[in-house]
Amino acid sequence: MPDIIEIVISALLVIAGLFGLIGSYGMIKLRDTMQRLHAPTKATTIGIGSVLIASLLHNYAVQGHLSFHELLITLFLFLTAPITANFIAKTYMAKHVAEDEVPDSGRDYGWTVYDDPPMSAPDPVTDPKE
Amino acid sequence: MDGANNLLFIIAITPFIGALLPGIMIRAGRATCATFAAAPTVLALAMLAVLTPDVMAGNVIQAEVNWLPQLGLSASFFLDGLGLLFAGMILGVGLLIIIYARYYLSPEDPMGQFYTYLLLFQGAMLGIVLSDNILLLLIFWELTSLSSFLLIGFWKHLPEGRQGARMALAVTGSGGLAMIGGMLILGNIVGSYNLTDILAAGDIIKASEWYLPALILILLGAFTKSAQFPFHFWLPHAMAAPTPVSAYLHSATMVKAGVFLMARMWPALAGTPEWFYIVATTGLITMVIGALIALFKDDLKALLAFSTVSHLGLLTMLLGFGTKLAAVVAVFHIINHLTFKATLFMTAGIIDHETHTRDIKALGGLRKLMPITFVIGTVAALSMAGIPLFNGFLSKEMMLEEASHTVWAGSHHAVPILATVGALLSVAYSFRFIVHVFFGPVRDDYPSKPHDPPVGMWLSPALLMVLVVVIGVLPAAIVGPLVAVAGEAVIGGGKMPYYSLKIWHGITPALYMSIIAIIGGLLLLAMHRPLDRLWNALPRPEAKAMFDALVAAMASLSRTITETLHTGAISRYLSIFVVATVALGLIAASGSSLPPVTREMLPVPGVVLIGWVVLITAIGSVFFMHRSRFRALVMIGVIGLMISSGFVYLSAPDLALTQISVETVTIMLLLLALHFLPKDTPIESSRALRIRDGVIALIGGVGVAAMTYAFLLRDVSTISDYHLANAKTGGGGTNVVNVILVDFRGYDTYGEIIVLGVAGLIIFAVMEALLNGPAARRLRNMDYSQDRSRDRHPLMMVIATRLLMPIAVLVGAYIFLRGHNQPGGGFVAGLIISIALLMQYMASGFAWAQARQKMEYHGMIGWGVVIAGLTGTAAWLFGAPFLTSTFGYFHFPPIEEFELASAMAFDLGVFLAVLGAVMLMLYSLSRIARFAGETVNVEPMDYDPTNRVELLKEDD
Repeated sequence: MPDIIEIVISALLVIAGLFGLIGSYGMIKLRDTMQRLHAPTKATTIGIGSVLIASLLHNYAVQGHLSFHELLITLFLFLTAPITANFIAKTYMAKHVAEDEVPDSGRDYGWTVYDDPPMSAPDPVTDPKE
Repeated sequence: MDGANNLLFIIAITPFIGALLPGIMIRAGRATCATFAAAPTVLALAMLAVLTPDVMAGNVIQAEVNWLPQLGLSASFFLDGLGLLFAGMILGVGLLIIIYARYYLSPEDPMGQFYTYLLLFQGAMLGIVLSDNILLLLIFWELTSLSSFLLIGFWKHLPEGRQGARMALAVTGSGGLAMIGGMLILGNIVGSYNLTDILAAGDIIKASEWYLPALILILLGAFTKSAQFPFHFWLPHAMAAPTPVSAYLHSATMVKAGVFLMARMWPALAGTPEWFYIVATTGLITMVIGALIALFKDDLKALLAFSTVSHLGLLTMLLGFGTKLAAVVAVFHIINHLTFKATLFMTAGIIDHETHTRDIKALGGLRKLMPITFVIGTVAALSMAGIPLFNGFLSKEMMLEEASHTVWAGSHHAVPILATVGALLSVAYSFRFIVHVFFGPVRDDYPSKPHDPPVGMWLSPALLMVLVVVIGVLPAAIVGPLVAVAGEAVIGGGKMPYYSLKIWHGITPALYMSIIAIIGGLLLLAMHRPLDRLWNALPRPEAKAMFDALVAAMASLSRTITETLHTGAISRYLSIFVVATVALGLIAASGSSLPPVTREMLPVPGVVLIGWVVLITAIGSVFFMHRSRFRALVMIGVIGLMISSGFVYLSAPDLALTQISVETVTIMLLLLALHFLPKDTPIESSRALRIRDGVIALIGGVGVAAMTYAFLLRDVSTISDYHLANAKTGGGGTNVVNVILVDFRGYDTYGEIIVLGVAGLIIFAVMEALLNGPAARRLRNMDYSQDRSRDRHPLMMVIATRLLMPIAVLVGAYIFLRGHNQPGGGFVAGLIISIALLMQYMASGFAWAQARQKMEYHGMIGWGVVIAGLTGTAAWLFGAPFLTSTFGYFHFPPIEEFELASAMAFDLGVFLAVLGAVMLMLYSLSRIARFAGETVNVEPMDYDPTNRVELLKEDD
């Protein structure tokens, strides 16, 4: 294995560990849920991303074959992490933030957490009895 | 003789096979349905006719197939004179009833169902009279109870029908249970369950000290079936059945089963004083009481029912006398009673059908309006009264003759006098039937204008009426041989007593008794009006009320016992279970020492230590946070994931896959359920109780840990070695876990998917019941709107799950296909697909998602079990045992060579059952949500940006 690749892989792993640690530390350090939401993003993006790139490189350069597992993991991570964060934030707001504490949405309709969605035509597929 | 043996088998099973036809043939019309119901009966009759000459010559035809020889149970049948008589009656009357019912049943009645039940009953009855094994006989005996339950309750919409059916089942069924005991004792005494052996061992039985208990238990069965006092009360209530059923079951067949049994067992049991006093006395009392009640019944069918009770009493009494001549008379009267009583029942059915009433007080004068019915009914009733020239007279004369010289407890008069009274009452009610129904002035207030029914309806009773007269005039010529051969079978060989079937026996005591009975009966009828008033004024015990009270008492007793043992406190059950298990373990371990330790402790790597600490912390958190349910659930999820990681670390990918998917599904469903439950567990038990439970839990946990520790330190030879060695060669798979599941232990898996499916269905059913009760009202009053986001179906979640769906399905298919050789399989695949679906339901709401798929989850469970079962049974086609699997390798270019195993089809069944069960559980939970006011969204997501743009445009 060329040294340069070895160095790159090692550097990526160290970066990954660092950002993982920073993310975890942030979870403890930051004050409330909304702030804490920011900390794990470091761990999931740069942290895990670096590990995946390192693994990709390692597989290609050392094992001699291309691996798609890392790509899939990235895909799922990018799919699930925002949704999780979105849900946590929504739940927090519904539980702890009153409607008058948030600024006006500036549109015809209010924020989704507090206001009912705009009405639309009935759906023909849904059971008409209900 | 071989052909004859086979024929006997075919006769016995023909009605059962035939029972399959009418239910299908009803689609081709009522006439076709009746034809297909009659066909098996005709066939069986024809085959019986082939065997008849042989039996009449005095031979006994036997056929035997070993069934469960270890239990002494064999499917053996035999046909002797008695069997021939009864089989002929069952099939012959059955045929007439099928014809009659074709015209009797109204178009609204499900005729196919009726004929199916009728043929089932016919088969059961035929089984009783042909069985040569008492265990087999017992099976058929209970089958008659069950099928008669269906027939009596045929009109399910009538409460009388349902209650009558239940009463009949309770009484005859419990009698049957008693009889099982009696028969087992009998079999034990003789050392064989074969009827022929038992009949030959009469002396051994009577000398045994177990004779009396066996006798009483068997007689309980016979008396309940034949409606003997004090069990007679069910028969009148069973009259709620359609009249063809009454005519068939309650004149010719079912109630005669008890009499048949007494006749069958006569050589083995009769002849002792115990037999005489129990059987003859019961019969005598039943005869008189039944006749007395019959006289004052206004319902035509009730009158006939009690007269049947009375005549069954007569038969029982005759068999109870214990003399050979009396037994032969009983056989003769069985034939006579059948002919006139079936005719009378059908006549009553015709009257009911045409006038729409069975109340004697509302009838009268039908002689002019329904001349044919009048002739038929009158002839039969005269026979029942015992008037000369009709067959009833002959057997009644012979009965009185027998009674006249029977001594009861030293008294020479008791039996003759009571027998005469019975005959007298019988004359009275028979004439009441004729006079009050057919004679008198024509009324103008019948509920319906009466006239004679179509030919099909009066044909059957007319045929039987002809028999009544012909036997009455020429008894010896018509039924003489049959009575002889059947009587011989009853008395079990030996010399036949002298008797003669003829009208004029000379001036005998019986003649005087007969004359007294007829004159007295007519006098009684003349005084019927004042007597009826007197009867109605007298207090009488009401059998139904007593029966209902008894049933209620039994139900409350069993409820008390159940509720004492099952308090509903799960902590109590668990503590009993844990303590018992620990105690058993200690008992097993005491007195033995452990073998020496053969394995060394492994070093603890850092990763394992961290995992272990996380696991222990999570478990500890559950312990401290279990009163806050959501937090506990999160911690349980952590535990599950740690255990999965453990499986991965220990190279058990199959278990890890299963654990992760089970964990996901479980947590999702628990979260859904928890939504409708209190979020905190209140402290309910006292401190002492909690300490006790804690100690028990600790003991259990320490016990399990110690056992695991002890096992892990020692080399134990396990069955795993066998599985590892044979998975590839025997099951064709390299994934040993999967091969174990679908092949080695396929039977277990088959059972488990059934259990899983049943659990899913039970959750569905319980939810259904729950949502019809007070819980539904509580749910409706709940308000979840406050703690909930208005955005129930967020855009991001909806889009992401849509994207994930095809990927997840692909993964599921992949996991399923590779299951046999690599980690995976139907179970995991089912869970993965259900998670994929669960995500859709979570994202867009249950109703929205449900409306967009066409699968029926109930059906999916069923198909899963069916496919797995069929795969198993397919092995039979190749002569291999159930669930034997096979596999082969195939090569279709350009695809690489691949393997197909029959186990894969089995795995497909597992997959479907798992998927169906999980989704059905979700469905059940979502039903709660609907009751709790959850509305149905019409859009997949609440804030659809594209939609909003359009709405904004509309606003402008």
